Amino acid sequence: MALLSFITRRLLQLIPTLAFILVVIFLLVHLLPGDPASAILGDRARDADVARINAQLGLDKPLPVQFLIFVKNIAAGDFGDSIHLKVSVASLVADRLPVTLMLTAMAALIALVLAVPLAFVAATHRGRFSDNAIRGSFQVGLSMPVFYVGLILLTVFGAQLRWFPVGGFGDTFGEQLYHLFLPALTLALSLSAILMRNLRAAIIGVVDAEYVDFARAKGLRSRLIMTRHVLRNALISTVNLFGLQVGTLLGGAVITETVFAIPGAGRLMIESIYGRDYPVVQGLTLALAVVVSLTFLLTDIVQAWLDPRVAR
Amino acid sequence: MKNVIRSALAAALLLGASQAALAIERGGILHYGRYADSLFLDPVLNDANVDIWILSNLYDTLILPTDDGKGLKPGLATKWKVADDGLSVDLTLRDGIEFSDGSKITPADVVWSLKRAADPKNGIWNFLLESVKDVVANGDNGVTIKLKHPDPTILAALTVFNSAIMPEKQFEAAPGKTDADKAKAFAEHPVGSGPFVLKSWQRGSTMELVKNEHYWAKGEDGKPLPYLDGVTFELLPDDATRILKLQSGEIDGAELIPYARVAELKQADGIDMELFPSTRVADIIMNVRPKVGGKDNPLSNPKVRQALNYAANKQAIIGIVTHGVGTPMSSYMSSATPLHVGKGAVYPYDLAKAKELMKEAGFENGFSTSILVLAGSQDEIGTATALQQMWSQIGVKLELQQVDNATRTQKYRDGDFDMRAGAWTDDIADPNEITSYYVYSPNIQAVHSGWKSDEADKLFEQSQREIDHKKRAEEYARIQEIYNSSGPTIPLYETPYPVALSKKVHGFLQIPLGNNIFRATWIDKK
Amino acid sequence: MTLALPTVRARKRRRIRRLGRLPLTFLVGGLILAASLVLALVPQLFAPYDPIAMDYNAILSPPSWAHPFGTDSFGRDVLSRVISAYSIDMQIAIFATTGPLIVGTIVGALVGYAGGLTETLFGRIVDAVISFPFLVLVIAIVAVLGPGLGNMYIAVGVIDWVFYGRLVAAEVAVQKRLDYADAGRAMGYTPARIIFRHLLPNAITPAIVYWMTDMALAILLGSSLGYLGLGAQPPAAEWGVQIADGKNFMSTAWWISVFPGIAIVVTGLGFSLFGDGLAELLRTKK
Repeated sequence: MALLSFITRRLLQLIPTLAFILVVIFLLVHLLPGDPASAILGDRARDADVARINAQLGLDKPLPVQFLIFVKNIAAGDFGDSIHLKVSVASLVADRLPVTLMLTAMAALIALVLAVPLAFVAATHRGRFSDNAIRGSFQVGLSMPVFYVGLILLTVFGAQLRWFPVGGFGDTFGEQLYHLFLPALTLALSLSAILMRNLRAAIIGVVDAEYVDFARAKGLRSRLIMTRHVLRNALISTVNLFGLQVGTLLGGAVITETVFAIPGAGRLMIESIYGRDYPVVQGLTLALAVVVSLTFLLTDIVQAWLDPRVAR
Repeated sequence: MKNVIRSALAAALLLGASQAALAIERGGILHYGRYADSLFLDPVLNDANVDIWILSNLYDTLILPTDDGKGLKPGLATKWKVADDGLSVDLTLRDGIEFSDGSKITPADVVWSLKRAADPKNGIWNFLLESVKDVVANGDNGVTIKLKHPDPTILAALTVFNSAIMPEKQFEAAPGKTDADKAKAFAEHPVGSGPFVLKSWQRGSTMELVKNEHYWAKGEDGKPLPYLDGVTFELLPDDATRILKLQSGEIDGAELIPYARVAELKQADGIDMELFPSTRVADIIMNVRPKVGGKDNPLSNPKVRQALNYAANKQAIIGIVTHGVGTPMSSYMSSATPLHVGKGAVYPYDLAKAKELMKEAGFENGFSTSILVLAGSQDEIGTATALQQMWSQIGVKLELQQVDNATRTQKYRDGDFDMRAGAWTDDIADPNEITSYYVYSPNIQAVHSGWKSDEADKLFEQSQREIDHKKRAEEYARIQEIYNSSGPTIPLYETPYPVALSKKVHGFLQIPLGNNIFRATWIDKK
Repeated sequence: MTLALPTVRARKRRRIRRLGRLPLTFLVGGLILAASLVLALVPQLFAPYDPIAMDYNAILSPPSWAHPFGTDSFGRDVLSRVISAYSIDMQIAIFATTGPLIVGTIVGALVGYAGGLTETLFGRIVDAVISFPFLVLVIAIVAVLGPGLGNMYIAVGVIDWVFYGRLVAAEVAVQKRLDYADAGRAMGYTPARIIFRHLLPNAITPAIVYWMTDMALAILLGSSLGYLGLGAQPPAAEWGVQIADGKNFMSTAWWISVFPGIAIVVTGLGFSLFGDGLAELLRTKK
């Protein structure tokens, strides 16, 4: 029940958060230099054309008036149409955001599978060869730019071995999982390196801390100590970091989406910002804010569960 | 020895290829990798190359451009005649032409389409049809275009995407109050007049075109075009991925190959690295206003501009940026543009002359200036970095300012810049489009440079009504002379369209205006 | 999987051994960082060529005696560029991350200690910062403050501090409920003293470990930001940008991107070894 009220409270807090984000993003995108017409017309932008297009879009009105119209439409659930793509923002977001969610979820899963066991191995073999080998190889993964890793994976597993398609996105769910494996692996490499390093340090810290000695003294079996104390306590900061990193990935997997030709939200966002497609930037930011907030809510719940001392 | 074998092999392959070219094969779907997705497939209301360059596959025009992009050949119209006074054009429509839904293409559709295209309230391309006063049907299969004044470019304008023919009834039946709203709805499931029809479009991913069963043109085998069952565009924004996907055989063609990889792909097995002639030019545009940001502007001095031109080693830039794919510009317009004049680089590299000109202009010790480049554009950053080094030799300190496209456009529309990198591709087989933007100051102040020549402005206005071809050529020769010697640009290079195709693909064409033409493309299935 | 859990005595013994071993991680990490700092301070002593001088006749030359790391597409010496990039990249690694570390740690410590409404408010700020499109911020910064390295630190800093803040806040929230914090309160110490003298040293390890990772990430981010106008400006050499520039040449001129890549790996390794050593040192001291 406590959990339920906690979740309710957090969902209620979402409303002022989203309102704040909406105001900031509205102001900032409208204050960016340039407008949708000159963004797309470039050299061919003639004053008369730009003025006519801006008037059609209602961009010639004073900013406060535009903001009021925007708020009124949002309240009615209307996020408008994309200026350049001429389709509704809602349908664009519904098309593109799930792709990014899938990609991020897969990357997160792969990263956990790689990072957690290897962090244990490294921590329990501190200073030995296996520890150094694990840390060294994760460091290489961390230091390679995403596009570089992506192209190498595409060349080897796509073009040469033909195990995976060279980029793109399938039609059925199965096909999509298949298409998303290499990009998810690409994202997972640096994510897992970050998690592995954090978890390794955390395990070492917990093992060294007094309370493990107490538990030991009380005569608990090693395995129990492992799961009850070491794993739980070590995972607290890792879960935290995991949530932050996944939150960043949701909005920022642009390069991966570009290299692997995945029609995700990151690419839509970057194209819309460059095109000054205000309605899309606003709608997508709002949708991302909901997803990110929910991700953090989830990590907070996991964290509370891991650490009963943090009473809610 | 190895080379001998290789060239013998190459000769054999070539022979094989030319024999295969005789036996056209029908059917199959061509997968083509594009760098960016289309935005809006309306011939009149679109505003970008990503739409323009594929629109001719969906909508046919009355007249078609020839393969070299300069001439005219029959399209939906079989015959055309400009009246002696130059004030009207009579066109005869082809018999039995149909839209992709099987309905007849009537003179009423043509009248409606051209009027919509010429309406100054619609889109940004109506200036190409500025001379159109009225369009009227003329019997069952004729159309007459009435002009406000003689227009030497009217026939070329009828080949341009915006004068494509659309079905009036189906368009007007689309939901929506305004033309723009109807266009949105119609563009979702367009009924067209071109060789292909839009079947599906997953934005940001794939676009499927299928054969239009009602298309009029016949292939070499006497049966209707197109040969292909369909074309599928796959959006592959990353250059390297696009190439890999071609190499792995998952797609049959890939556009916009980076220049750096052209030589490598020429050697690659199973790939035809095509360099289609284009009208694309790249240059630097200078702000020539006497004061910029309240300070005196050295670039307002024509001698300084000439000095910068002489000190820019274009051949080196062509080597560094285009990896030898480009060629020097001999005028502000591309050499593939009709009425172009000029031979060799406009300003051949001459450091001594540049230093002398700087001295004459009173800038012996140079000055500091800046250039706006598109953030992330390797070509522009590469060019600017090379210029930075080259101009340091005449004491000019060049600062690079990387900004995104919209910011850059805003800055030069405000006149708030020193220099910027520019590029241009013609949309019409005539020099008038580039000239109206680059030279004719009332339009956009000569690409927002603030440059102005009364003589060039007057010549341009004359040439827009000059139907004597020879006189018009003379006018254009003089405009180019003025602009190339005192204008606000540093012409850098012309580049072709680099397209890589599987060796199985035949008959694909990208004309100098950029249009991708798939109507006579076929795939060798062996 | 069993863990060799030390008894109290064994742990003491190990602590002594570890003190003996500590210099090893420190030594290697420290050595790499010292060498990097020397290269960053006086690159001209080691670079064989002017890093921005172009040689149009030696474009894309493979590694040779004259150019041990080859030349790039402008005919510039890659070795000299990798060396001269040390000054910019060490700057990025340190300046882009230290500010966020400090701000994030202080805010995080206060938030974690205060809890309640402060924590809720901070949580929502984190939500907003992470879900805000970074690119909008970057373009706005370029437009208002102009392109360049200094403004890149601002762009990175605006986002990055919440990482440290959240990490530290969560740890402090755990630590403050432990016995020793209660003891501190019972003894009448001021909250500031409890937070910064007692809680923080125990809570800062994840932040320190992440900091070292963050430095490598900052260098890589520099290459993406370079593509938005922020970061090192041409013709200056910077590893991230060098790697990105080499992208079109991965199959024909691998040396353009591989050597700066190695430099990032080695420097990153230096930071992470150093950081792990630092974390152990903090633990043994407590």
